[in-house]
Amino acid sequence: MTFTISPPPHIKQDTTFKKITWMKVLALLPVSLVSVYFFGLYALAIIFAGIGMAVITELVIEKVFNKKITIMDGQAVLIGLMLALMLPAEAPIWIPVVGSFFAVAIGKHAFGGIGSYIFNPVLVAWVFLILAYSSYMYPVSFPELGGISDIFLENGAGLLIGVSPIALIGGLYLILKKYIEWKIPAFYVLTTLILAFLVGDNMGHVITGAFVFGVLFLATDSPSSPVTKKGRIIYGVLCGILTVIYGHYANYIFAVFYSIFLANCVTAFIDNSTLPGSFADESFLQRKYKAIMDKIPFERLGVKIDD
Amino acid sequence: MAEINIMETIPDKMVIPLKQHNGDVCEPLVSKGEVVKVGQKIGECPSDRCAAIHSSVCGEVVSVEESSHPSGNRINSVVIQPVEETECEDFTPFKDSGREQLISVIKEAGIVENYGTPTHLVLNPPDCDIDTVLINATASEWVGHNYETPLEYASEMLDSLRLLMKAAGASRGAIVLRNDDEDSIDAFDGLDYEGKTIMVAPLIGKRRVGYYFNDQDTDIIVVSQDKIYGKNIFEYFTYNVTGRKVPFRCTPASVGVAICGVKSAKALNDLVNTGMPYIETVVTVSGQVNNPQRLLVKIGTSFKDVIEACGDYRGEPAKLISNGVITGVAQYDEEVPVTKMTTSIIVQDKDEVLKDISKDCIHCARCVDVCPVDLIPNRIAALSNQGRFDECRQMHIENCIECGRCSSVCPSKIHVMQLIQYSKEAIARADEDFSEKESSNIKLGCSCGSE
Ligand code: SF4
Ligand code: SF4
Repeated sequence: MTFTISPPPHIKQDTTFKKITWMKVLALLPVSLVSVYFFGLYALAIIFAGIGMAVITELVIEKVFNKKITIMDGQAVLIGLMLALMLPAEAPIWIPVVGSFFAVAIGKHAFGGIGSYIFNPVLVAWVFLILAYSSYMYPVSFPELGGISDIFLENGAGLLIGVSPIALIGGLYLILKKYIEWKIPAFYVLTTLILAFLVGDNMGHVITGAFVFGVLFLATDSPSSPVTKKGRIIYGVLCGILTVIYGHYANYIFAVFYSIFLANCVTAFIDNSTLPGSFADESFLQRKYKAIMDKIPFERLGVKIDD
Repeated sequence: MAEINIMETIPDKMVIPLKQHNGDVCEPLVSKGEVVKVGQKIGECPSDRCAAIHSSVCGEVVSVEESSHPSGNRINSVVIQPVEETECEDFTPFKDSGREQLISVIKEAGIVENYGTPTHLVLNPPDCDIDTVLINATASEWVGHNYETPLEYASEMLDSLRLLMKAAGASRGAIVLRNDDEDSIDAFDGLDYEGKTIMVAPLIGKRRVGYYFNDQDTDIIVVSQDKIYGKNIFEYFTYNVTGRKVPFRCTPASVGVAICGVKSAKALNDLVNTGMPYIETVVTVSGQVNNPQRLLVKIGTSFKDVIEACGDYRGEPAKLISNGVITGVAQYDEEVPVTKMTTSIIVQDKDEVLKDISKDCIHCARCVDVCPVDLIPNRIAALSNQGRFDECRQMHIENCIECGRCSSVCPSKIHVMQLIQYSKEAIARADEDFSEKESSNIKLGCSCGSE
């Protein structure tokens, strides 16, 4: 009888990168459908242009550089879809094409592919587009925000993603399934809401589709966010602060994208400065506490303490 | 309570490896054609870092040859063809023996911890004094087959602890149970032992054993904590239970702690009460076999015979694993024998065998979230991969308890734990051949009792 030999562990969780990515795509599907319903078939064209170009670019680059073809892991599709959703509904069709090409070719592959890129490729492309073709990137109107119904359907939404914040609820499911991580979104939302409240901004302007999308999908993009536990909290808070700073003076929709892009820059720095210590090391305060406690003669006072 | 059955069938062939511990290989005392009895010593220790080997059956020695071993290597082994009738050596109980004598009988009886260190070295480490003995019952539950009631199990365990403390010359002892192991907790809780009532105390936060020793004003306590598993848990375990930090590259002995397993504790108790050396062990058989169970088997029985005793394979087996699915070793041969270090046998079928290909790390931080000792496994793995061992040290790589959680959750299927183990080994070997003089400014070795 023959037996397979392999290093341990001999059972693993069945979560794979591929599964995580496709689940993200799935979670973005409802909002895509609502936007198509809302903006008509032209939105569908934008989405398809984005996805199509991303997949083609990935394929060509991997063929040309003789790399393994990784279309099936879904990342190209996800990049294309995310980028398309971040565009205004009336953007010319070449915008998602150029954007997707830029995202995959420069944002992802030029930086070294999965795991090596430092900026979220989608944001790289978005920043490029807004710098190069800003006139096409501003929606005709920014949403007239207000009432609670905006959470469900935003009548004046400018970007595809803005149509229905509630349709992004799938992201919460991803957090529940641990496909995406919870610390960053939680602290991002908290910081933003608290700060926005303090500076007196209208909550209706803060909680938009773009914000929910940014929190759940952009900020949690794993290669461009920190890995340490403390680091992720700091990153979330930082994103929140930047969002409010930019949002307070300009608009909260672009604020989300810019702030995450900026926070990406310091990801490595955050990681390096929050490396955890050894499990038995004492922090500064603990050491001081111990020094004081050592001076008190508990034994003579007849109090029992641990050793 | 998991039932423990006794394996009754006598196999056609027993292979008893002359090394069933970490240390030196024993020298065979028997040769081809000789007849051996149950409990007869067949392997003699050439040094102190070793434990004697005994025959577990009656029969004729067929050969002494290299044979496969569950560790994956080939080890010199005594092959015995058992006969039906059993004839035992005369075992003499060792009641009322002193410390020195206990240590030497433990060595002679070949008692070994399931993690590999001979028990006499754990209890009597060279130039260290032990003051606390811990029985780690967090991984294994009930051991042994002859307990009528849970109470009997509990008091026998406490007797064993007393013996271990006596052998180690330690003043305090604790049994560490698992929080969720209700059976054992019930068995110990409320037990009257030596005129005191035992209360199972949970280890929470800063309340470690020291607190409970004072609080209950006793020298024997039973505590409970979360399950810790892994290949290398001792530093972490020691810290969790006693609050003492084991220095880098040292064993818990250097802070005065001896950690024993349930199995060796029971073996010592048996030895003292009946004189029987360590020749049988409990093995948990699970996975794709028709009748998974816990089985008391004689050391030297091949995995194949054990599996046959459990109703044979269910379907076509594809992978045979000893000692747990997370950290265990996959076997290439079903003829490998059960040794003193074997705790479980797992059979997987074709669909369960993993065939993943490692991809790039996506920094998803899942490994960071599961690591019980707060490491950044993905970064250490990347550094190990590039051979940057110094930086691994700065990231506290030595704390890794080799639990395999990081490899298990990784969506990119990176062999995180192997990479970490690789550099741990490289680091451990780095200054092996440093002579003490040349490295006057580097402190090598452990100094006992002090920081
Ligand atoms: S690094 Fe991995 S194997 Fe080591 S303790 Fe952490 S999770 Fe366990
Ligand atoms: S779990 Fe795997 S992919 Fe995720 S950070 Fe750890 S090593 Fe990287």
